[in-house]
Amino acid sequence: MTALETNTEPRREPPSIKKPRRVGRWILFAVMMVVAVVMLYPFWVMIITSLKSEPQFLSGGGFSWLSWSGLTSVIPIGQELLSSTIVCSSSILIILCVGLPAGFAFSKLRFRMSTVVFLVIVSAMMVPLQAILMPEFVNVTRLHLTGGYAGAVLVYAALGTPFSVFLFTTYFRGVPDELIEAGIVDGLGYFGAMWRLVLPIAVPAIATVTVLQFIQIWDDLLVGLLFIQNTSERPITVGLAVLAAGRTTSIPALMAGSLISAFPAMVVYLGFQRYLVKGLTMGIDR
Amino acid sequence: MAEITFDGVTKIFGDDVRAVDDLSLHVADGEFMVLVGPSGCGKTTALRMLAGLEDITSGALSIGGTVVNNVLPKDRDVAMVFQNYALYPHMSVAQNMGFALKIRGESKAEIAKKVGDAAAILRLTEYLDRRPKALSGGQRQRVAMGRAIVRSPQAFLMDEPLSNLDAQLRVEMRLEIARIQRLLGVATVYVTHDQIEAMTMGDRVAVMRGGKLQQCDTPQDLYDHPKNDFVAGFMGSPPMNLLRVGLDSTDGDLAVVLGAQRLVIPASYATSHALPRVDGPGVVFGVRPEDVEVLDGPSADALTTRVERREALGAEILVHLSMVDADGENAIVVNDAGAVVARPMRLVAKMGPRSGVSVGDHLSVRLNPDHFHFFDADSGVSLRKTK
Repeated sequence: MTALETNTEPRREPPSIKKPRRVGRWILFAVMMVVAVVMLYPFWVMIITSLKSEPQFLSGGGFSWLSWSGLTSVIPIGQELLSSTIVCSSSILIILCVGLPAGFAFSKLRFRMSTVVFLVIVSAMMVPLQAILMPEFVNVTRLHLTGGYAGAVLVYAALGTPFSVFLFTTYFRGVPDELIEAGIVDGLGYFGAMWRLVLPIAVPAIATVTVLQFIQIWDDLLVGLLFIQNTSERPITVGLAVLAAGRTTSIPALMAGSLISAFPAMVVYLGFQRYLVKGLTMGIDR
Repeated sequence: MAEITFDGVTKIFGDDVRAVDDLSLHVADGEFMVLVGPSGCGKTTALRMLAGLEDITSGALSIGGTVVNNVLPKDRDVAMVFQNYALYPHMSVAQNMGFALKIRGESKAEIAKKVGDAAAILRLTEYLDRRPKALSGGQRQRVAMGRAIVRSPQAFLMDEPLSNLDAQLRVEMRLEIARIQRLLGVATVYVTHDQIEAMTMGDRVAVMRGGKLQQCDTPQDLYDHPKNDFVAGFMGSPPMNLLRVGLDSTDGDLAVVLGAQRLVIPASYATSHALPRVDGPGVVFGVRPEDVEVLDGPSADALTTRVERREALGAEILVHLSMVDADGENAIVVNDAGAVVARPMRLVAKMGPRSGVSVGDHLSVRLNPDHFHFFDADSGVSLRKTK
């Protein structure tokens, strides 16, 4: 018998190792299925409910587009979506404009007390919105900014900036110093190095900040309710809350409005999901 | 193109970490200067000061006769090649190479021409549209070189550019960089911890340790006439055998004492070297492995040794020998205070690949008397009077 022939007998894994692994995988799968159902069930209820008229909703059966076609007469959905978009995009723009250079400075520049300043900024992430809401309201009122978008935008920017500074700092720490030094030797200043070399490779971090802040701001009710007092400028969440608080609330219309409200956040999240994972894991291709 | 001068340049990090200490060095126009030394010796800090990436604590640093201590990196007109290449990952090879020219405001046509010329020199023409991540290590290294070349700078600065490459590619790129440097004739400061790179590439080599310049000379002069025992031990692979020994003249001849054996020193060394008195603190005696010759049989000027270890490298065998006393035991080193250091006196010898020596063999070896080195036992400075 040759050496080859002696090896033809198939190798068997010990069953005691393989079996628990397979069982564990099935348990994990089952748990994930349950989680998926829990997550998707509210959407299912919203979709089904929105596809009924008010009498059909009360009686339990039937199908109708009435709540969708009549939605604009119940709430000014277009204007509210526009308001939400303006507030969201303005806030995120400020958060990015502050967070990006701050993150670059904290990660790449040497200056006195940088660690202390960084820790102070990042510690602001620990303060809950509710704890500072009243002082902020007083401040914004004194600045006469409670009517339109400006007050809410400033509050959202203040709340979101610490997280963006933290995320950009940790992300930029993963960018080799040599890359920036090469740019500086090539003729760039620090701002040029950030703008032309670091920013293009920071897309995952920018996407992460954008998505997380978008979802948070788009879904927020409290700040919009307090700081945007002009009814013509209120965001979609406030519009839906007002609708829900009405004496004769149409539940199918409310569900239709809620679906429209949730749609942009879902699209943004699903669209940037791949960057989100990359940004949060803080790696770059080298 | 220009010359570079370090004039008493010092760099202190924090309050007391002296990374570079009073460095004075002149790099002539077109010269290939290698800074070599172990980790933490200050060679990279010196290069970074030259690039403008580190401030200078004291001293003057000039490029082309102009002191550049307070000149921004972009205005120094130097190009740097980094250890990790530092290629811009979001740009193509051509964009990487032309980036500095673009910042300088040169026209697209001019940039394309210069990039094309540099790519031809570096054999990168077919890769110009690729991104760095689609290149091999050697190709990335060449792009980093190309980025430096296209600028036609006053000086090239290279910070261990070959350390991330495998051994074979390193040899190829070593030749390639030396070829390009000679082709362009630009003053180059090249930092490495690899003494083989230093010996093979540099017109001159500056050896550093602890922030201080130990010696700056041509590779052969460094090898043949090290100014101290550190340079002697650092340059050469395997390094020079350095033994702390006493001197003896009881038989009329001056000799070094190697355990129970005596090695007569030729009379010429008494005049060419400032050897200490025989009752003094002794010396550090050095001899290169290639100057240890294995004899067929006993000889009057031979030393008796025992083979402790053999390392077959293919083209040669490195044999680790211990000095043997009359009773066949290993000789041991005795230091000044009379305390015994439990370390046998060891020599490394280079032997031919077919040498049939085995561990435990007793060998008679002769040390080439033309190439003895003597260093002060305390300071390590060479006792040679003139070069």
